[in-house]
Amino acid sequence: MALYKFDKSLALFERACKVIPGGIPGHTSPAFAVAGSYPYFAASGRGCRYKDVDGNEYIDFMAAYGPVVLGYNDPVVDAAAARQREAGSLFNHPTARSVELAERMVALVPGMGWAVFARNGSDVTSYAVQVAREHTQRRKILMIKGAYHGVQAWCRDGTGGLIPEDYEHVHAFAWNDATQAADLVGKHAGDVACIIVTPFHHPAFGDQVLPAPGFFADLRRICDEGGIALVLDDVRGGFRLSMHGSHAYFGFRPDLTCYCKAIANGYTLSACLGTDAYKGAASRVFFTGSYFGGAVEMAAALANLDELEKRGAVPHMMAMGTMLQKGLADLAAARGLQVAISGPPTIPYMRFANERNFRRMQRFSGEAARRGVILHPHHNWFLIAAHQEADIRLTLEVADKCFEIVKKEFGG
Amino acid sequence: MILAGGFWDASIGRLGRPADTRERVTANMHLYAVLPRVLDLARLDDAATGIARDMDVSIAFAVRGGPYVALDFKRGSGGARRTGLADVVLFFPSCRHLNRMFGGEKATPIPLWGLHRFRDLQRFTKLSDRLTQYLKPSDDDMADPCFRKRHVELSLLVGLAACREVADLDPRAQRVATALHDGTIQYSVGEEGPHVTAKVEHGTISVAPGRVPDPTTTIALRDLDFAVALIRGEVDTFAASGLGDIRLSGDLALADKFNHLFDRVGLYLK
Ligand SMILES: Cc1ncc(COP(=O)(O)O)c(C=O)c1O
Repeated sequence: MALYKFDKSLALFERACKVIPGGIPGHTSPAFAVAGSYPYFAASGRGCRYKDVDGNEYIDFMAAYGPVVLGYNDPVVDAAAARQREAGSLFNHPTARSVELAERMVALVPGMGWAVFARNGSDVTSYAVQVAREHTQRRKILMIKGAYHGVQAWCRDGTGGLIPEDYEHVHAFAWNDATQAADLVGKHAGDVACIIVTPFHHPAFGDQVLPAPGFFADLRRICDEGGIALVLDDVRGGFRLSMHGSHAYFGFRPDLTCYCKAIANGYTLSACLGTDAYKGAASRVFFTGSYFGGAVEMAAALANLDELEKRGAVPHMMAMGTMLQKGLADLAAARGLQVAISGPPTIPYMRFANERNFRRMQRFSGEAARRGVILHPHHNWFLIAAHQEADIRLTLEVADKCFEIVKKEFGG
Repeated sequence: MILAGGFWDASIGRLGRPADTRERVTANMHLYAVLPRVLDLARLDDAATGIARDMDVSIAFAVRGGPYVALDFKRGSGGARRTGLADVVLFFPSCRHLNRMFGGEKATPIPLWGLHRFRDLQRFTKLSDRLTQYLKPSDDDMADPCFRKRHVELSLLVGLAACREVADLDPRAQRVATALHDGTIQYSVGEEGPHVTAKVEHGTISVAPGRVPDPTTTIALRDLDFAVALIRGEVDTFAASGLGDIRLSGDLALADKFNHLFDRVGLYLK
């Protein structure tokens, strides 16, 4: 097959650089993938496939970094959104969809008594932290080293626009190390508002790590003993491990939980849910935005949650993810290559086990993209409910070719 | 005895005012990132090689409440160190005083001792004048391709060495600095170089000219013109990466962290 070219992507990027800082800011910047061997701009999509502006088509394993969970342009979700759009989306008041969606989510997610809606993951993780601070009347936030909770100053790394005071009250401990968490709680006794965690550790540029047995139970105990809120950032994991939230999957009990990515199949929505005990504090934190009441997105979310259940999306994605992981591991082994695949099957991460500098992985991903499969070199991937066995088989065919190239170039 | 860590090296933590911190970070950059480049100059520039060949002396710069460096010239080879004795000691009453001198203003050091080595001091002055010319070149200088190449190499060495001072002392960089992981970052300009490598080991950054085998991260700059623009702070590095003017490969997380540090160097060194 002819390898893909990206001329139109590049031309558009040149235009973009003139009027947009960085050309493409944020996590989709080409600087974070394999610049030159990767599409820069998308054009259209359906199911688990999309086309870029050059007309190249891909089987996708990034799902727009998570939000596309049923598939691009899912007809059922889009029809629900279209119906709502006809009636209107944004008014002086919320619509009944907000109540329906809150009822739906509270019924779906165990332990939670209320829900509020926003637009992005960052909105709700930051809100959850504020609710915890309001409820406890304390300052300190404990988070996991290397975890990502969004772009707000309290949880950002880097330097741009940040001052040390932004994260003066944020302290980090290592994933799976409840002793460290307890030590921090002891050090800041009486001042810790919350411990915020993701359901599994999913750093960029690193292996994913599942919770060790007892980790969440230990955190729960530390929080109970110290009057501290346990906040679950389920923005990435939510509805890809369990329809009832990732705490249901791993069996623990957060006080507040945040959803975003898989909630509305690509429509812009996020949610914070909390237990009844936190409802008073939640009502005292002023939280709003011009578009928070948008009904199209809520209608899409209602349809998306229904469809995820109806289609058995989570078990299906688990099966497809397992097939992909096993297929990749077998192909690599057959060529004498060592890959390390970590994380749950629906959100896998792969690297070559014998390198720390990602060169084989960058080669592998770049070659895969030029052959029509999107497998990010440094970020976890996302399964999509639309993936079928035939898609995984095609993906593995491409992957085998890419493994062959890596083997030839790197020797092992 | 002139030893770092005491009188000279007041902890940055005790400097409360942002203006004091700024002077201190800048002073550190001048002594640890800029000044040692005279030793690189002796490698790169024929006139400087000739001067350095005749020198067998150690010259220290000591700043009250600030950094200390001793440069050793050993007949053509040499090194820089942050502690220990020196034959000649030049004293600066404050970081600000030192920075004014480096900025070309009227500010001179107080020679504490070693003045009898005035011939070596004269040679050193010649070297540092030549270095200044390379780091702050005229348009005429830059028209010479050999000069441009040396300008780029010396400037990259200064910029990367200054990253260590940002990591150590700049309060706004502390989050990045503590997350910095070990590895080597190789900067290359075109095929022909120059090549410069920064190394992070146990969280401490050091720089050296040249390439290393199997660097953790490679940052390849298109050509000298592009490198000059980058050094002048005229480049949007994210845009440049997408356009292929900068080709990144390897551990991009390390590149990203370094980029945060590098971005801040320009706030101190003009
Ligand atoms: C775990 C987690 N939390 C929060 C966020 C931030 O979400 P958003 O980018 O929608 O603000 C993300 C985004 O990737 C995430 O993965």
